[in-house]
Amino acid sequence: MALTIAVHSAKGGTGKTSIAVNLAIAYALDGRKVCLLDMDLRGPTLRTFFDDGSSEVPFWVNDLLSGKKGINEVVMDTGVDLGMAGKVSVAYSKADIFEIRELASKDRKWQSNALKNIITGKKELIRNGTEVIILDTGPGVEYESINAVAACDLVLIVHSSTKACSECTEQLVNGVYKSLNKKCAIVDNMHHCSLDDDTLDGMRYGFPVIAAIPCICDIAKRSGEILVLSDREHEFSRAICDIKDKLGRIL
Amino acid sequence: MIEKEIIEEILHNLKEINAKLDKIILNGNMPYPDEEINSSDSLDVMMLLSLPDHLRTTATTLFEIGPATAEDIAEVTRKERAVESNYLNQLVRMGHVEKYREGRKVYFHINNKLC
Ligand SMILES: Nc1ncnc2c1ncn2[C@@H]1O[C@H](COP(=O)(O)OP(=O)(O)O)[C@@H](O)[C@H]1O
Ligand SMILES: [Mg+2]
Repeated sequence: MALTIAVHSAKGGTGKTSIAVNLAIAYALDGRKVCLLDMDLRGPTLRTFFDDGSSEVPFWVNDLLSGKKGINEVVMDTGVDLGMAGKVSVAYSKADIFEIRELASKDRKWQSNALKNIITGKKELIRNGTEVIILDTGPGVEYESINAVAACDLVLIVHSSTKACSECTEQLVNGVYKSLNKKCAIVDNMHHCSLDDDTLDGMRYGFPVIAAIPCICDIAKRSGEILVLSDREHEFSRAICDIKDKLGRIL
Repeated sequence: MIEKEIIEEILHNLKEINAKLDKIILNGNMPYPDEEINSSDSLDVMMLLSLPDHLRTTATTLFEIGPATAEDIAEVTRKERAVESNYLNQLVRMGHVEKYREGRKVYFHINNKLC
């Protein structure tokens, strides 16, 4: 059974992209065929993990959403050497201010078609043998992010331990995730013990809290490095593998 | 029970045909005048979120598997076909969904007319 995960959060900078990339590689290291899509069209950073921005990208996620290209044309190889293991392909979105400005002017009709194009693309990937699709989203209730949530099987909520994040997450849970009938799992990232009192028996808002990753400067210092590849024993890498195993049990 | 459903559907369809004929007569020979030109009807994800629960489930399912018949939708949502048919027709009346006939089957899909 193929699986589509949207990595989402209420606030920015909670660690979504870091978790999405490492999780994708962790699945691939298990021998799975994985596809990673940058759905954070207003602040794309996925590419920083795979190249310095100088390589040729023929088409973008932007082209998929607008219906100009199909999924097979926007997805490309990551260039990451996984040896004998699985495969990770990726689709980037365009970090270009004109493109991002234009996005802000799209109407509801365009967004409605964008959702259809994502769902069509997802089905096409699955038909071609992709087993895990990971959607790295932007924070909050931007259209692209909620479209990604609507298209996924499971929302991986990356929560950072601040009061502001808790309040916004609760809004998203009730106003979006539950409304769209989504399975969810919560990761507490940059976790410190001062603010986890709303967790009861490993559950919060009715969803399992499957990991608590501490705030570690080393992770920020090495941002752009895929730790599950370069440093498997790192606390972050082990947390990612643990998340992957727990997701397997939820689904 | 089944017969009753069929009769209800026939009656419903007859009423619709009547309404359409009235429109055609009113507007000379132009079929379907001024229909679905309002782009604010398009069903995007934010609109989806503001729908009542039962309609949202139907609409989300249609996004996933559409174009689909009421029966296809009912299979996923595990509700009665007649119930889904009713919800789908509500969505059609709201302008979010369109339907078309293919042979004896009626298919629904998310309204994607460009404005
Ligand atoms: N557990 C952690 N401890 C410290 N820094 C972290 C942790 N997780 C992520 N970061 C850092 O936080 C920054 C934002 O992470 P990123 O993955 O880009 O977040 P998002 O995609 O949610 O905006 C990056 O520099 C990243 O390396
Ligand atoms: Mg990000």
